[in-house]
Amino acid sequence: MGKTVMIVDDSASIRQVVGMTLRGAGYTVIEASDGKDALAKLNGARVNLVISDVNMPGMDGISFLKEFKARPEYRFTPVIMLTTEAGDAKKSAGREAGAKAWIIKPFQPNQMLDAVAKLMGP
Amino acid sequence: MSLSDALPTFLAEARGLLEEMEDSLRILKQIPSDTDAINALFRAAHTIKGSAGLFGLDVIVTFTHHAESVLDRVRDGLLPMDSVLITLFMDCRDHLENLIDAVERDESPDGPTLGQGAALVARLAHYLGSDLDAEPPPGVGAVPLVLEDPVVNLGRNGESDDDVWHLSLRFGPDVLRHGMDPLSFIHYLTKMGEIVHLFTLTDAIPPAAEMDPEQCYLGFEIRLRSEADKATLEGVFDFVREDSRIRILPPGSRLADFRKLMESLPEGVQRLGEILVGCGAITQRELEDVLDLQAGQSTDPPLLGEALVREQCIQPEVVAVALDRQQEVRKRQTQDARLLRVRADKLDLLIDQVGELVIASAALRVQSKETQDSVLMESIYEVARLVDEIRDSAMNLRMVEIGETFNRFRRVVRDVCKETGKDIELVVHGADTQLDKSVVERLSDPLTHLIRNAVDHGIESPAQRRAKGKPDQGQVRLNALHDAGSVLVEVSDDGGGLDRERILAKARERGVIPEDRELDDNAVWNLIFEPGFSTAHKVSNLSGRGVGMDVVRRDIDALRGSVEIESRPGEGTTFRIRLPLSLAIIDGFLVSVAGNDYVVPLDTVLECLELPATAQARGDDQLSLRGEILPLLRLTELFRLQGPRGRRRNVVVVHWAGRKAGLLVDDLKGQLQAVIKPLDSLFAGLPGVSGSTILGSGEVALVLDVSGLMDLALREETQSRTGSRSHNNGSRIHGLVQ
Repeated sequence: MGKTVMIVDDSASIRQVVGMTLRGAGYTVIEASDGKDALAKLNGARVNLVISDVNMPGMDGISFLKEFKARPEYRFTPVIMLTTEAGDAKKSAGREAGAKAWIIKPFQPNQMLDAVAKLMGP
Repeated sequence: MSLSDALPTFLAEARGLLEEMEDSLRILKQIPSDTDAINALFRAAHTIKGSAGLFGLDVIVTFTHHAESVLDRVRDGLLPMDSVLITLFMDCRDHLENLIDAVERDESPDGPTLGQGAALVARLAHYLGSDLDAEPPPGVGAVPLVLEDPVVNLGRNGESDDDVWHLSLRFGPDVLRHGMDPLSFIHYLTKMGEIVHLFTLTDAIPPAAEMDPEQCYLGFEIRLRSEADKATLEGVFDFVREDSRIRILPPGSRLADFRKLMESLPEGVQRLGEILVGCGAITQRELEDVLDLQAGQSTDPPLLGEALVREQCIQPEVVAVALDRQQEVRKRQTQDARLLRVRADKLDLLIDQVGELVIASAALRVQSKETQDSVLMESIYEVARLVDEIRDSAMNLRMVEIGETFNRFRRVVRDVCKETGKDIELVVHGADTQLDKSVVERLSDPLTHLIRNAVDHGIESPAQRRAKGKPDQGQVRLNALHDAGSVLVEVSDDGGGLDRERILAKARERGVIPEDRELDDNAVWNLIFEPGFSTAHKVSNLSGRGVGMDVVRRDIDALRGSVEIESRPGEGTTFRIRLPLSLAIIDGFLVSVAGNDYVVPLDTVLECLELPATAQARGDDQLSLRGEILPLLRLTELFRLQGPRGRRRNVVVVHWAGRKAGLLVDDLKGQLQAVIKPLDSLFAGLPGVSGSTILGSGEVALVLDVSGLMDLALREETQSRTGSRSHNNGSRIHGLVQ
């Protein structure tokens, strides 16, 4: 059974590259442009992993993460946060909201695939 | 007496205790509340644990500890002894017996036994409840103890124990809540290498009633065979690091790698942490964590090395190696601090001036002799002695270790290997041999050439080597040593050796030697130093264009050195370069021939003797010295000297590179220090003469080049034998002396 990954980022190019890379690796990909869009698109859908940017217009990554984790069906779904700065205030906020995995931008598609593989298992 | 000698005692004792346990349990079956039996049971378990610990039998220690903890609670009245418990203890006793049997067979417990143990531990854990979390058994907090034995097990079963990583993973209780699945990480780990062994630690799982299904209670001990470095493996667990305890121990076999890497670190790296991170034994993150830990302990923080070992980041052996390295670097740096950099030209000026001083002092000595003033002479001899010492110290200033030059050749070998597809190791000996700096510098080119030749032509291709039953990897050896007042530098290879027939054919083809001449090996090998001589089948990029070997010879001649070749077919070739210790000032022996003064380098002089009247009368060109026949070189003839001859003739017996000869001279004038002045470039190529010097009297004397003279003599001899005597050498020297 194929696994589904959601990418939440306001940058269409990032969504495209991430989407392309993940689809190439055999994942189903849902793209969303910000937190609100993501929550709307989720709506009970089965998702195995979410990759989300932090800084986004509309609903930002941290708020999205909080709402996402609050939904019982997604409580155990891993989330990878995309961030430009390592170890800043955003990160600790994200940590409180339940984000454990971080990828620091800019990243190579392979780095992201590695991170996904670590969390998704076989 | 070693531990293994005491092992039988332990085994006997343990068996006795097991019997005691069985007896106690039998009593307890009848009377479950029998405190004596409970105490005996406890004591037996406790003793087994204690002595097993002494023998490093950690599986037994850990297992017994669990049993003991439960027994402790029974003893304290916290747990009633009932039939279920008695059965459990019976099983535990049997398991212990299995473990001890395994020790006796010098094996490690097999998989089923270990599984049985884990199951028993889980059963015991029910009786301990939350105590297990609150108070981890001593030595078990560092959980690998549980696993240590499977480790040994793998080793003893023939699988190499040394080349696997040991990963100790304790996932935090919240990892599942964060969407992290331990299984995915372990699965990901298989991308890094092969999981040789995996042991799941389930002893943290509470009784079902208390278990929170959302919590992770699992720990894993993993043995991974992987080429990855530590940082990469650590990276796998990036996302769970914060909540979990991840320990990664490098394979024991990496110790040697770490040592090598440590040696290649720049000298500036001298803090233990930096060294360990630099060689990849620990990661930056581990270092920071442990440093934090250290900083957290305000009173008496542990040493970094100890803390790292305690945190299971690294084996104590690696720390020991790193500490050694640290010491070494520090020592070297304090040595460096005592060094003074001096411009070479200042040094040269000093040596020049010392040279003048030596000459002036010699002149003074000559003049003082004429005054017949013994007090003056005594003072002057004292001054002369001091001048000698100053000369030696000054010359010493120029001495450098040859090793620095040698290191450059590693690169040469590597580069040539890359171009030729050969696998060759450069072995260096005597890198600390000291030689005059200018000699070392000027030696670099000829050595480079010889080494390139050895790699390119000397050593065969791996396929050819294999066909000859040699190891694929060839060897080029570079060797420097002091030998009888000179320095010997050898370049040898274990290749195919020189091809005598091919060299001879080539020499005949080129007309270097007449068709019918037979030559001994030495003469044949020396042919390769002829200009434009190359026997390489195909000209490669590196060598073989026939320029070079003659240049090598010329360079070495210019250093007043000599080069000889030893070669055995199929075994390899050795080029032996012999060099004078210094170019500037030598101890010499002054002789005169037909009114001209010559200096023979003293280190070549063996002895002096008067030419026997009979030999003189016959005009022999040989001399019998205590039964040994030496060629006799008549300097008057070699140099075409005409002048007043002394009444008596003397012979100076000289040696060079294992050959001996007698120099026929008129007068022996004794020892002196000769400051060598190079001849003008016009005369630089003269055979038999290596320079000039100014005597105390102000006269100029030529310094003889003994190796050149011997070659000259040899050539004259062979040429006279073949009847084509050459005249040019002698006349050129003749012109110079006039």
